[in-house]
Amino acid sequence: MKRLVAIVEDEPAIRDNYAAGFMREGYAVRTYANRAQAMSAFAARLPDLAVIDISLEDEPEGGFELCRQLRALSAELPIIFLTARDSELDAVSGLRLGADDFLTKDLSLPHLIARVNALFRRVDALRKPNTPGELVRRGALTLDAERMQAQWDGQVVLLSLTEFWIVHALARHPGHVRNRQQLMDAANVVLDDNTITSHVKRIRRKFQSIDPKFDAVQTVYGMGYRWVE
Amino acid sequence: MSLRLKLLLLGLATLVLPWGGCQYAREMESALREGEQNSLQAVSQTIAASLQGRTDLLYRESLPPADTPEPLTRGTSGHAFLQSGPYDLRPLALTAAPLLDGYSDDWPHDPSAWAYFARDDRHRFAILTGVYERMLYVLLEVRDEHPLFDAPGTNTLDPATFGDRVWLGFEDSQGEERAVFLAATGPGAVTARRIETGEYGQQSAPLEPRIRGAWQPMSHGYRIELRVPLSMLGNGFGVLVDDRDARGAAPVSYGTLRSDDLHTLGRLIVAAPELTSYLAQFMQPGLKLAVTTPSGRVLARADALGQVTGLGSGTPILARLYRRFVDQPGTRQLLESSAPIYDRDHTGVIGKLEVTQTANRWIRLRDHALMRMLNFSLSTSAVAVTLMFAFAAWLALRLSRLRQASESALTRTGLVTSFPDTDSRDELGDVARGFSTLLQRLNEYTSYLRTLAGKLAHEIRTPLTIVRSSLDNLESEQVPPSARVYLERARQGSERLNAILIAMGAATRVEEAIGSAERVSFDLVPVLESAVAAYRGAFPECSFRTELPAEGVVIRGAPDLIVQMLDKLIDNAVDFSPAGALIIVRLRLDSQAPVIEVDNPGPALPAHVQGRLFESLWQSRAGADSQPHFGLGLYIVRLIAEFHGGEASAANLPDGSGVRFAVRLAR
Repeated sequence: MKRLVAIVEDEPAIRDNYAAGFMREGYAVRTYANRAQAMSAFAARLPDLAVIDISLEDEPEGGFELCRQLRALSAELPIIFLTARDSELDAVSGLRLGADDFLTKDLSLPHLIARVNALFRRVDALRKPNTPGELVRRGALTLDAERMQAQWDGQVVLLSLTEFWIVHALARHPGHVRNRQQLMDAANVVLDDNTITSHVKRIRRKFQSIDPKFDAVQTVYGMGYRWVE
Repeated sequence: MSLRLKLLLLGLATLVLPWGGCQYAREMESALREGEQNSLQAVSQTIAASLQGRTDLLYRESLPPADTPEPLTRGTSGHAFLQSGPYDLRPLALTAAPLLDGYSDDWPHDPSAWAYFARDDRHRFAILTGVYERMLYVLLEVRDEHPLFDAPGTNTLDPATFGDRVWLGFEDSQGEERAVFLAATGPGAVTARRIETGEYGQQSAPLEPRIRGAWQPMSHGYRIELRVPLSMLGNGFGVLVDDRDARGAAPVSYGTLRSDDLHTLGRLIVAAPELTSYLAQFMQPGLKLAVTTPSGRVLARADALGQVTGLGSGTPILARLYRRFVDQPGTRQLLESSAPIYDRDHTGVIGKLEVTQTANRWIRLRDHALMRMLNFSLSTSAVAVTLMFAFAAWLALRLSRLRQASESALTRTGLVTSFPDTDSRDELGDVARGFSTLLQRLNEYTSYLRTLAGKLAHEIRTPLTIVRSSLDNLESEQVPPSARVYLERARQGSERLNAILIAMGAATRVEEAIGSAERVSFDLVPVLESAVAAYRGAFPECSFRTELPAEGVVIRGAPDLIVQMLDKLIDNAVDFSPAGALIIVRLRLDSQAPVIEVDNPGPALPAHVQGRLFESLWQSRAGADSQPHFGLGLYIVRLIAEFHGGEASAANLPDGSGVRFAVRLAR
């Protein structure tokens, strides 16, 4: 059975292009132009994954509201924000509302599909308990590449997909400096330096909320970041 | 000319007040003077009237009208008595007693007062008479080629011993004619002798001690100074000189006495002694009264001019200062007035009364008024000037505050909302409010401009996404190979467009990043070292040198941002450097403030760009590569410098070989 991807996007051309791309990958796609349409459809049947634009027709922040409502319906449903907005504030708000990823529309369609695939892999991995995946252990850190899940001292750190990939890229080769371009490549995103910096900041903060003494992600000024054990 | 100075000058215009006061004081003075003159005239006329017909008072020996049968015919001298004869003497009214020493230097120098008598060229004498305190003083200068004293130690009555002798003849108070002679055996004091004939005819020459004087030789003659009490004298008075060329010789006699019987030919016209005391009753300080004969010879005077005090040393300095301003040069300090004294019938003039008054009285009055007026108006002026100056200073302060505010408002990119003085209700407040409104609008406009890039990026992103996603989809379609190349070009174009969009949004993201940046204390030195090490790898075509202080430089700030700022500076330096250039990264302390400098060789900055280099979206220089430059790099540098409480600047190197960018940070 095909997985159902819901696309909520008020720009018909983009909507249809994305829909075409996903369908080519073998997904079933439903598209909605606004929040009301989407919610009424979701009430009837939840999709397997939702790609949501933030501004929807006459609601500039309708995507956030939709995300909140959708998260209320399902805690596990992967949600991706895909937006023309690229402000830090929007990203933080979106991720705080429980979105799994926050992407700007700079992202190419293949990249987007790659992320969707990755999210589905994670969902699948989480549904198959007790199956040890490919684990990376670095001191207190345990990375499960299958589930795309990070643990610190046994506690799960809730990372977005981009953040997970950044941590993964750093922790796989401790001590090696990863520059920003390498991190972007690893995360399948095209971002500017400041966005990478704020991602790293968020990652540190998330780990520090578990272990205040967390200091494993080091800045190498002018070059990038490295993982130290 | 500053506003302060202008208003000060304006304030000085109030000095027209004291100036007008001075003019007024001058007019008042002349009016006072005129009034005083008039009253003085009245006084002199009153006194003159009181003296009308008082010949007895005016003249010691008034001849009764019956004795003067001559008709009153001509001349100004109405009274017969005043028909002056050739031998009459009119003594001066002396102001001090001459010392009886035979010298003329303590006599007034008044050539017209002398009377001259001459027998011939070789025999003549001059006589000067004066009255002081009931004494008649006589100065006699006799011209004599052969002055001859009596033989010493001899009988004064022995004709053989006789030298030059001088006879005085006068009527005594009873009208009887008397004569005394003066004889001296040498220079010095001399006392008169009178000839007395005893009952047996013997003659003696006893001293007349009341008539004394001194005898001194002078060139071509001798001089005799004498004093005679007026009480001895009646109406007539005369002098006879016996000039002998040898002792005992027959004298050549000449003078105002008849030589044979010593009858007095001339009269002594002297004021009555009571006249002075009569005048004294009119005296008051600052007044001088004088009674003269119609021809102007002073008979008596009472002088209290010098008695006036009040404007002496006790005068306040201020008053003297004022007086200097007000007094016109040439103003006469004395008021004079005269009135004729008529005889009883009011037909002839028997004398003249001259009244002199010092100006001090009205000057004192004027000074008093002037002082008060000037004090008042000057202090008014001073207050006005002070107030104006203070007001001007206040205005200037407000204006300079406005100016500073407007200057800083235009140089800063931050929000300018507060503007001084907008609460004032005057015109300056209007100006301030106008400025404030203007700045607010300007601010709205600039913030609109600043967000324009972001908004544009946002708006362009959606159609771009359509293009890109369409291209992505097109990849999966069957496209003839001949069309592939166009597809590829479309993709490249959209990628470039996307890069532009990211760059356009960069400024906004940097501002956000700065807004959320946390400040920590960190050492600049290792951060710069590490960053420059990275640049060596990133830009192999250039070489880098660091000039860092030996000890650490700890500041509070965001090291990420500092490195990002350095990235932009290095990007810029590399872009404008020739290949193989040496780029110098320097950290120095300028009065405790750390300054990061990046020097690169290359073309100099044109003068017109220097102030604008750090503005958003300003691009004046063509870079070495073809990558899009939006002038954001240096704008980001400025934002980060300002976040660290500092400022960024650019200048050409002193030797013109390149450019130096400097960022000053707060400690």
